[in-house]
Amino acid sequence: MAALFEYDENREAASAAKVRALEALLIKKGVLGSDAVDAVLSHFESVAGPFNGARIVARAWLDSAYKRRLLEDTPKAIAELNFPGMNGAEGEHMKAVANSETVHNLVICTQCSCYPWPVLGLPPYWYKDPVFRARGVREPRAVLRELGVPIPAEKEVKVWDSSAQIRWFVIPERPANSEQLNEAQLAALVTPEAMMGVALVPSPQAI
Amino acid sequence: MFTRFEEYAATQMLGQPDSPPRSDGKLFFSEEWQRTVFGMALALSKQGHFEWVDFRQHLIASIAAWEQDACDGKARWDYYERYTMALIEVLEQCGVLEPGELERQMKPDEANK
Repeated sequence: MAALFEYDENREAASAAKVRALEALLIKKGVLGSDAVDAVLSHFESVAGPFNGARIVARAWLDSAYKRRLLEDTPKAIAELNFPGMNGAEGEHMKAVANSETVHNLVICTQCSCYPWPVLGLPPYWYKDPVFRARGVREPRAVLRELGVPIPAEKEVKVWDSSAQIRWFVIPERPANSEQLNEAQLAALVTPEAMMGVALVPSPQAI
Repeated sequence: MFTRFEEYAATQMLGQPDSPPRSDGKLFFSEEWQRTVFGMALALSKQGHFEWVDFRQHLIASIAAWEQDACDGKARWDYYERYTMALIEVLEQCGVLEPGELERQMKPDEANK
């Protein structure tokens, strides 16, 4: 069984050669522009993705007035940051909720097209698993414990069900020992999972 | 719902048999050719050469064929190898490529690998 996943250099090279030849042929035939691949992938790599959400969270950690505006009117506060990919309908119905000493937020999704792409990027493979979604509603503490995020009994767990109307994301708690970090350094600590509430942001000393 | 073709196309695959590898909210490519072939399929469908759903049907069938292979001597799993096969099939089906055109373009030694 393990052999099915072993690295095979010859096959890898053959696939690479085939794709290079296909690209060259399509460019030669005038079907594909030479920058078409970069242009289409730039959407995922630099326009809409978790790097936007990480910047929003880092700004909220550093600027409490911004955080307040973000929680009150999320799309308007996000618009302040002038992200290039935030003009589409995907970003219009986003709503941020903040973790605190007393509340932990978990975002699930019971439909299929309700993920806040512009700030979180592509969901992990298990996110649309019906079992995860159902258990996230019924026993969020157990799900969080299994994901390595045990929540103390005295802390409230709120579950937010994203839909086409509202796409939730979480402002995680700022980690300890991060006082000396600037906005970019803070943003680098923030993962998509932390913004879904299924992970915590680690202290910079732990990385 | 989605105003961007890129997001529509990727979302259609999520949670489905042809769901692409990803990591930390981003598409995951271990080699440059994987990124190239993923982007080519998206770009060509966006231009209207074929419907995204038609490409996905080829991809799902290609994945199913791998899964149905006997375990003995089965080739290792490679999502983007399946993806490449599906893209060539849909390009031949929609007439962008003639059958066998790619092989003829490739040098004989590469084509026979």
